[in-house]
Amino acid sequence: MTEVDALLQNIDYAAAVILFCIGLYVVVAKGNLIKKLLGLNIMETAVFAFIVTSGMVDGGHAPIVTEAATPPFASPLPHALVLTGIVVAVSITALALALIVEVYRRYGTIEADELRETD
Amino acid sequence: MTPWLPLVVMAPLVGGALAPVIAIAGARLLRAWSLAVVAVTGLAALRLTLEVAATGPFSYPLGGFKRPIGIELRFDEFSAAILFMTLIGGLALTYAGRYAIRGLPAGGQPWFQALMLINLGGMAGFAVTGDLFNLFVFMEVVSVSSYALVALGDPRMAPLAAFRYLLAGAASSVLILFSIGILYALTGSLNMADVASRLDVEADGMPAILALAGLLTGFLLKAALFPLHTWLPDAHASAPSPVSAVLSALVVKLGILGLLRSWQIFAGAGWAPLGELLAWGGAVSIVAGAGFALFQQDLKRLLAYSTVSNIGYIVMGLGIASQQAVMGASLHVLNHALIKSTLFLAAGALIHQTGCRTLYELRGAGRAMPATSLALTVGVISVVGLPPTAGFPGKWYIALGALDAGRPVFAVVAAAGGLLAFAYYMRVLNALYFWPPTHERVLGVREAPVSMLVPVLLLALCCLAAGVFARLPMAFLEPAVSRLVGM
Repeated sequence: MTEVDALLQNIDYAAAVILFCIGLYVVVAKGNLIKKLLGLNIMETAVFAFIVTSGMVDGGHAPIVTEAATPPFASPLPHALVLTGIVVAVSITALALALIVEVYRRYGTIEADELRETD
Repeated sequence: MTPWLPLVVMAPLVGGALAPVIAIAGARLLRAWSLAVVAVTGLAALRLTLEVAATGPFSYPLGGFKRPIGIELRFDEFSAAILFMTLIGGLALTYAGRYAIRGLPAGGQPWFQALMLINLGGMAGFAVTGDLFNLFVFMEVVSVSSYALVALGDPRMAPLAAFRYLLAGAASSVLILFSIGILYALTGSLNMADVASRLDVEADGMPAILALAGLLTGFLLKAALFPLHTWLPDAHASAPSPVSAVLSALVVKLGILGLLRSWQIFAGAGWAPLGELLAWGGAVSIVAGAGFALFQQDLKRLLAYSTVSNIGYIVMGLGIASQQAVMGASLHVLNHALIKSTLFLAAGALIHQTGCRTLYELRGAGRAMPATSLALTVGVISVVGLPPTAGFPGKWYIALGALDAGRPVFAVVAAAGGLLAFAYYMRVLNALYFWPPTHERVLGVREAPVSMLVPVLLLALCCLAAGVFARLPMAFLEPAVSRLVGM
């Protein structure tokens, strides 16, 4: 039963990996450009969730120095990283949506298989 | 502490952000401003390169916080590639001044210059950062600006090509961020040198291998190694020509630089078995890229596939992992940057003047535009790898390294790749010089304007110089390569 125990202990990591794979599947398998972009966002969310949980400590408190603060503390660094990551993800999403609008204006469709025919 | 190191990153980023404001004062001032920013960056990079040649790699702790708490910038021999980035970036910007009049939508010029400068700043940051998360951030600065730059190109194909590029690029970035997250969870540090010393691949087992696999796949996708290259031909062919030059010469090389950084982190245990994989992947890429290029009619698509083939050489050299092969690969990273920017800028000048893109339509252009065609010819001879041009030393040392490591099959692939390159580039020379013109526009065409011609000819000259004086970069890279191979 050790494998099952290990999986249950790291259920958050397993969830992040599963979410990542779902996102990758959507990017690769779906034909609609908007759906592909949504898949990309799912992948990004999976990675952010993974990094945030890696900073968790069992029973950890927020690392803010007050008189009542008692260790153990959760690591604040991953949160700062993910904040930056989210900014990057938003800018990519914005750019991608703008490009999709431009593609639609040009070809009148955003389905990958129809776009291939117009090439 | 030397202030040059932060300057080399900050100057283009800040300069790029200010470019749209400067543009209000006039287009001439904007162009002067961009070139001045690139010149300052180039001088700082030169200063740092001389220092690293004299004393070896050095670090700069940002804000005065020491490793592992603070974020550090680190300049080593590979970071000296910034010198090439500023050279090519500056020439591409000079070239773009005229090109932009016909090639860009109205009012696009300030944004174009801003994106080019930010792209350059991101590349410089990627080359000097010593922090894994900063590596990711700079990679995204480069990527996002590249997607936008591609979208400025040929309105018929560019938006779709840019979207495909974005999808592939963003997926690989996410994969790399995932790997960085795993490394952080394993070691509790983001400083590359610190991670390298704390990481014990054998004890950490599967997660460490997973991180390595993620980094490798991500960076190879950025470098467009076959079969991860599918996004590249569309993006590089439909971008404006100065952008194609920067993308093909520099941006794909960031993937290679990322590979080198991963190698530095996973030195020893985790890396050795991968050599075989990389060497074969590179070998397949050489042949496949050349094979696709043989059948291209569009000049810029042909050049794009040739990039896939040349990236194959570099990855194969790294995979063979003998001293000479890695030296050859490092040399080829720099020399291919010179060659491919020459080719793309010269091709761009031909396309700009004639309005034709395919080899068939461009027949006879060699007589109408002799100087541009001469530069293109120098580039072609270089990329095929004939001595004494820039393509020769890199490929030669990769082949020598393969023989040295007892793997003659890779030397054969290197030679075969050269022959295939000769075959498909011969089609270009044939079209330019030996076939009668098919398009009436080619007959009456004039030579490219001086602002386009000078960068192209300068780069062609650099191609020759890099072949003749190959000992200089070799002596400079020697300590870095020895460290890498010896690890």
